[in-house]
Parts: sequence; structure tokens; C-alpha cells
Amino acid sequence: MSTATKHEAHASNEHPAHSAHVSYLKDGWSIWSWLFTVDHKRIGIMYLVMLTIFFGVGGALAGLVRTNLLSPTGLIMDNDTYNKTFTAHGVVMLFLFLIPSIPGVMGNFFVPIMIGAKDMAFPKLNIASWYVWMVGASFAVFALLTGGIDTGWTLYPPYSSRSSHSNVVPGVFGVFITGFSGIMTGLNIIVTMHRMRAPGMTWGRLPLFCWAMYATSLIQLLATPVLAIALTLLMVETGSNALGMPIGIFDPALDGDPLLFQHLFWFYSHPAVYIMILPAMGMVSELLTCFSRKNIFGYTAVAWSSVGIAIVGFLVWAHHMFVAGISYYAALLFSLLSMFVAVPSAIKIFNWTATLYRGAISFQAPMIFALGFLVLFTVGGLTGIPLATLGSDLHLHDTYFVVAHFHFVMVGGMVLGYLGALHYWWPKMFGVMYSDFWSRIGAIMICVGYVTTFTPQFWLGYHGMPRRYPNYPAEFQYLNVLSTAGYSIQAAAFLLIHTYLIASFFTGKKAGPNPWGATGLEWVAESPPITHNFEATPKVVCGPYEYSLNMTQTGEKADVR
Amino acid sequence: MILQTRFFPEQASELAWHVDNIIWAISAVTGATGLAVYAVIGLFCIMYRRKNPGELGYAPTPRILGSHKLELAWTIIPLIIFLAFFGWGAQIYNVALHPPADAPEIYVVGKQWMWKVQYPGGQRVIIGQNSLDYAKEIGGEGYFEGIMVLPVNRPVKIVLTSEDVIHNFGIPAFRQKIDAVPGRYVSTWYHPTKTGTYDIFCDQYCGTNHSLMVGKVMVVEQKEYEEWLEGKWKTGPGKNSVDGSLAHQGRQLFQKLNCIQCHDTQKSKAPILEEIYNTRRPIKGGGTVIADENYLRESIRRPRAKVRDGWEPIMPHFGPDKVSEEDLIKVIAYIKSLKKGETPVRTEDWVAPVGGTTEPPAAPKTPTGEGGPK
Repeated sequence: MSTATKHEAHASNEHPAHSAHVSYLKDGWSIWSWLFTVDHKRIGIMYLVMLTIFFGVGGALAGLVRTNLLSPTGLIMDNDTYNKTFTAHGVVMLFLFLIPSIPGVMGNFFVPIMIGAKDMAFPKLNIASWYVWMVGASFAVFALLTGGIDTGWTLYPPYSSRSSHSNVVPGVFGVFITGFSGIMTGLNIIVTMHRMRAPGMTWGRLPLFCWAMYATSLIQLLATPVLAIALTLLMVETGSNALGMPIGIFDPALDGDPLLFQHLFWFYSHPAVYIMILPAMGMVSELLTCFSRKNIFGYTAVAWSSVGIAIVGFLVWAHHMFVAGISYYAALLFSLLSMFVAVPSAIKIFNWTATLYRGAISFQAPMIFALGFLVLFTVGGLTGIPLATLGSDLHLHDTYFVVAHFHFVMVGGMVLGYLGALHYWWPKMFGVMYSDFWSRIGAIMICVGYVTTFTPQFWLGYHGMPRRYPNYPAEFQYLNVLSTAGYSIQAAAFLLIHTYLIASFFTGKKAGPNPWGATGLEWVAESPPITHNFEATPKVVCGPYEYSLNMTQTGEKADVR
Repeated sequence: MILQTRFFPEQASELAWHVDNIIWAISAVTGATGLAVYAVIGLFCIMYRRKNPGELGYAPTPRILGSHKLELAWTIIPLIIFLAFFGWGAQIYNVALHPPADAPEIYVVGKQWMWKVQYPGGQRVIIGQNSLDYAKEIGGEGYFEGIMVLPVNRPVKIVLTSEDVIHNFGIPAFRQKIDAVPGRYVSTWYHPTKTGTYDIFCDQYCGTNHSLMVGKVMVVEQKEYEEWLEGKWKTGPGKNSVDGSLAHQGRQLFQKLNCIQCHDTQKSKAPILEEIYNTRRPIKGGGTVIADENYLRESIRRPRAKVRDGWEPIMPHFGPDKVSEEDLIKVIAYIKSLKKGETPVRTEDWVAPVGGTTEPPAAPKTPTGEGGPK
């Protein structure tokens, strides 16, 4: 960690005072100045707009699913419609929201600023990634709107290739294309972090959000090609079946191997879970330090645990297949490795908790989201243990226990991290503050809603209710009703959040460069930042969380608002 | 509906006990850890809250950068606990995967959207096969086509495959599930410990009626199980003997040999055979006879030997050329299994029985032709 004194720090600082440059938002007003932009911030905002729309769609689909499950016989949909609805919910939420969310919005917008760069290393690749993603999303949306897909987001053959007569090929093709976008963004972030750090921004001084984004990008770069392989082979088999010239790859009736698909699919899709959660973890490190005015407890451990998760995360995929007919020894190995991937998450939780020790904690909305993340992600992480343990997974596999587990991780973890990031950086992105009161109410409602929605599902799963059932034995009803009630709280909370965030554009008071008194480089820049982020390249003199010294990374006083 | 719900799910197999133990052990340890973390977070949030909550920015705090000792402790201790769970879980999984060598094998074949269960003796049950209409009456009577029956306290091996896509044969009360993968056999085994009826679910998404690919498994005493395999004991009122059992084959012969033409319940021209087994019956010319296997056999081979009181001796005899010894056993098994109201409804009138004359040729005095159509 830096031991630079305040004195030196001030000496090296060039105060960006009132610049002649306009903010990135005012740098061009035409639609083309957005659509053809290469500014990483504008690209981040374009991701934000699309992701918000897809999140709304995915959330509404979840509402349909939960409404149907109010009654044991299925309240509003027939079986086929339900199957298409939960598949659409999964595809939209995973490929069109969770995976691109924080990398697309916050990664694009803030990684260059946080390391003191003017832009990404490859600005044109950056805008290309948005367009590629939009093309992929269009295919997926086309598939969902013109009849839907009924395979579940996991797309297991031979059901998907032989039995399902839905829009598998266009949907899969869309997901295939969005993968390229993830690779482009990942590559861009890795190169940017290697080549464009400001003077003094050593790896040991990087904000933990950047470390997390680095680990995430590694996964995107290395795992996505395997998904592309799996999806290509699936399209070949499905398409050739439809054309009447079947080529067997996964279908045993054509001498294929259905487990091959599962191995390839989970080789990507398990690390993909870490694509979703790692950036949120990075975010939580930023939020907890800022709102408790503390250095992070154990910078090195938190940073390397992100990389550790990324690496070990590649070696645990077959824990999705313990009851799929893999060999006993394979199951043993993957169960063992899964135990190792749990450790870095545990380290993070303990380090975050220790960060709060002797802090000066305030409870603005971003902090409530971060604390909510700690509570909910702990549940999500700990309930992963019985699923990674062979003996208990025998019973819990493919039940609502799994559904509850991964929603606690993805929704309770990742979405809270995303919302925390959005609330933390909102004044930076748009230069306005939202309502303090309503944002705290919204954050608390979200947490209450999540707990109410997903806790009953653990119990449902323990009682054996399988996933993906539009109708179910009557004894499961009251827990399902409770879960749906929780969904309503969440839905109301999301409406509230969108309302006050949008209202902030019109009624919000103007935000200064550093409304939270935070220490990162992004708070040295204007709110909203100018197109090239900084008037002059900042010189970094210390680590990212010198709250006790009240010092930003450029050595200024952090509490100047 | 809350009252219908058990707080804890039924434990009906040896494995269920082991799985529950590990689930609750993990829950207890992780729950305690989680609550401890929450307590510390909560405590810190209260103790170290800002004194002037309206303000942001600088507040005096100590510069604590970490502690390698603490970090090492909370790296190693969780790892040891996780590894302990791994070992314990692997042991249970090992047991669940490897059936005892002498366990009888029951084959289960998954197919959209039903399970076909085949017993070693040739008995067959179809579970599920629920049409879309049944979605409206879930939980209602007649929802399940068949019930899988297993003996209590006896291990059985399940060999599983699928005819089309991947399914999963899961029985929550046994805490056990396994994918049915097309193109290969997978196996598991059960050691049921508690009689009762439990759910079977398909746990791997398999298309439109995935949620209707469900059924029941009934665990019964060994004696009932054997009777069920023979077809004597049935899984519900009005149900037929299990497919492939002796009684079930006897029932087919009962119709094929046209016994049903006279031994029916509407226009009976011969005694109704429901529940006659091992009961005392009056015979023509005084006296009674116990309708045991030997009497039933004699009445088929030599119908005139002891004719039931109140009936005309019109039955043709069925010699070994018409009904082999094996078939005779099946017919008798069927008669033994017949309960009140279970005689099949006769669908054709006036069809000739396929037997010979009412007496075997060895008794030349017997008039012939009476067995024909009247």
C-alpha cells in the first residue's frame, strides 16, 4: 500500500478546476452522436438503456411464472405457454441482462476512469460490441416473439434438437452472437487495464472493482468460445434434424452423446455465474469502504480471491451433473473442486465484515444495497454447499432448492451489486442526485422482497418440488403463494426505483464531483465527466481506499464535494 | 392447505435418513456461521454508525489494512469444514450408487410422458401417461394410471433408461433421483423402510407434460408385495391385477377361453367366481366342498365331478389339449384374485366356449353338445 504522504500528494496534483470542456452528455446532441460514438461512457449508457428494458421484460416474465404458480393446477397458462415463459425469463435474464450488465454498463463506463485512462484501449471494438450484442439480442427476441423456445435456458439435447418444435435455432444463434460481444468487451477491458493505467496506478493500487472486472473478463475471454462450440454443434444437430438429414452429435439415437453437450454447456455456464457475481463483488468492496470510511480489510486477499474464483471456477462445471449419469470418480473430483471454489467467497465475506470494524458507517441507498448483498449473497453461497456435497445433492438436485440458491446468488447478489453500483455512480454518470429518502425505502423493499420470494423456495425444494413444473401437488401451494407475494414486493420496489431515478433528471439537485467523499479516480473527474474524462492525466499516489487519511488516489482531500 | 402440508418431508428409505442427516448438519453449521456473520455485521452497523448521519465525507477512522493471521484462519477453517462435508457426502453418494449384489432388478423406462416399470417376474406398470386433460384434475381420483409397488425393508435395484429425451426418476421420500439418459443404462437402488404411498416426479425438464410425468410408489409389506406380483392383491379398488402377473394372464385366458360367457354377472349361467376361493360351497346331491386349488382344477378339467348346487351341468371340460398345466395355474390364480365386483363385463353374446364336451372322453356316458350355443 502507498505510504505517500499528503504533502507529496498535493504537490503532484493538477486540479481540474472549471474546465473549458463540456461533459460527455453535452458533447453532441444528435442521435448519431450516440449511435456512432466511440466514447466508453456513452456506450455504457447505451448498454444501460437496453439492459433496463430487458430487465423489465425478464422481470415481467418472472411475474407471469409466479402468477401461474399461485394455483396447483396452473392459474393462467397451459403447459406449453408456461414452458416458453420460464425459458424466455431465463434467456432474457441471463444472456440479455445478467451477463452483460455490470461489464457492459459499469465496466465500460468506469474501468477507464478508475484507472485514469481517456477511453478504452479499442474504442471502435467497444461500440462494435454493443452492436454485436444488439444483433444477438434481436435474434433472441425474434425467437421469443415468434413462437418462443420451450427448452429451458439450459437447452439440453436430445430434447432441444429432436423433440422441441420451437424456435431453438434462431434463439441459440442469438445467444451465440451475444457471446462475441462478451469476448470483445472482455478483451477490451483486459488490454485497457494492462496498457492504459495512469502513472502511479500500479496493480496493487487498482480499485477492487477493476480487479473483479479483470477476473470477469478473463472468464469471458476463455469460456465463451466453449459455449460457442456447444451452441454451434447444437444448431447443426437441430437444423439438420429439421431439414431431414440428421447429423448426430448429442442425440443417442444418431450415435451422439447427450452428456457431451452438458459438459460443454456447463464449462461455460458455470463460470458464467462468476461473470455475473464477480463484478458485483468488486462493487461491494467499493461501497463498503466508502460508506464506512475505511480501508478495505486485506486488499490482497480480496483482489486475489477474485482471480482465484475465476480460475477454480473453470474446474467445477460437472457439479451440475452429479445425477446425470457421470462416473463416481468424476463426481468425487468435481465435488472436491467445488469445495475449493467456495473458499474465496468465504474469504471475501469475512474481509468485508472486518472492513466495517471501527468504521463510521452511514446508510445511504448504495450502502443498504451493499449490506443487502452481504446478507443475501451469504445465503446464496452457503446454500451452495449442500448442492456441491454429493450426498445431499442427490435429493436437492433439480428442485426448487436449486432455484432458490441461484436466485439468491444472482438476484440477491448480482442484482443488488448492480443496483448498488447504479445508485453509487448515478451522480457521476448523470450529474444529478436522486431522492435520498425514497432510495433508502426502495433498497430496503428490494431486500425484503427477495427474502420473501426465495426463502420459501428452499423449503419447497427440500420437500422435493421439481423445477419447471407449471402445476404441482396441492401441498406445495401455500409456499408458492408466499413466494409470489414476495415477487409483488420486488416488483413494487423496482417500479419505485425507476420512478425516483427518472425523476432525478427533472427534480434532482445537481451533484458535485464527489458527493460521497470517495477516494477513487472517478471522483476526481467532473460529474458528469468530460469526454476525455480528465483535463490532464491524473497521477496516482496511493491505494484506492485511503478513507482514514481522507485522501483520493491523486492525493487530494476526499471530502471536498 | 397448510394443514395438508407436512412440516418435514416423509423419510421412507434408509438413504433418506442419511441424506437428511447431512442436509441438516450442513444447514446447522452454515446457518450458525451465517447468523454469526449477520450478528457481527449488525453489531458493527450499530456500534460504528456515523454519529452525525446527515453528513458525508470525512470521519476519523483507524487505518486498518488487514491481518494475515485472521485471513489465514478464515481461509483454512472453512476449507476444513467444506472438506469434511465433501468426505461425508461422497460416502453417502457411494452407498447410493452401489446396490447390494443380490438386490432384484427392476427396469424403468422413461418416455414422454410416462414411466414403464418392469419387474423381474414379467409384471409391468405404467406410471404417468397422463393426458393434458388430467392437468385439470391433479390430485383427483384416477389421476395415476399405475402405481409402482415395492416391498418394505428389502433392497431393490433400479435400472433406468429413456426411449426419447433425458428424464429424471426422483422419489423425494427416498431422497434419491437419477437421470434417465437415452442410449444407456444407469442404475440406483432403494431400501424402503416405511410403508406408505409416495410421489414420483420427473425432475429433468422433458417437454410439454413434464409436470404430468408423475406418479406414486407404494411401499408394502413383503407378503402384500408377493401377492401383488401374483396379481392377488391390487393397488386400489376396482383395479386390475398388475400387468404380467399370473392373475393378469389368467384374466386374459378367462376371456380368451370364453369362461366369461357363462361366469359373468349379468346373465349368469354358471356360478359367479368372485371371492369363492377357500370358501365352503354346497354341491349338487348334498354336501359341501371347499373351493381350494384342487377343487377349482377339477372343476375345469372335469366339470361334472362336483357340480355346484343350483346350477345346470353345462360346462364343457377343458383337457390338457385346451388348457395346458401352465395356463391352468394362471386361470386359477385369476380366480383366486377375483374380488367382489371385479368380474369383467361380457362384451359379446353367444360365442361358443372353446372347451370340449362337458366330460372328458374317458367318461363315454356323458351327452355331448351341451356346451355349445343354446
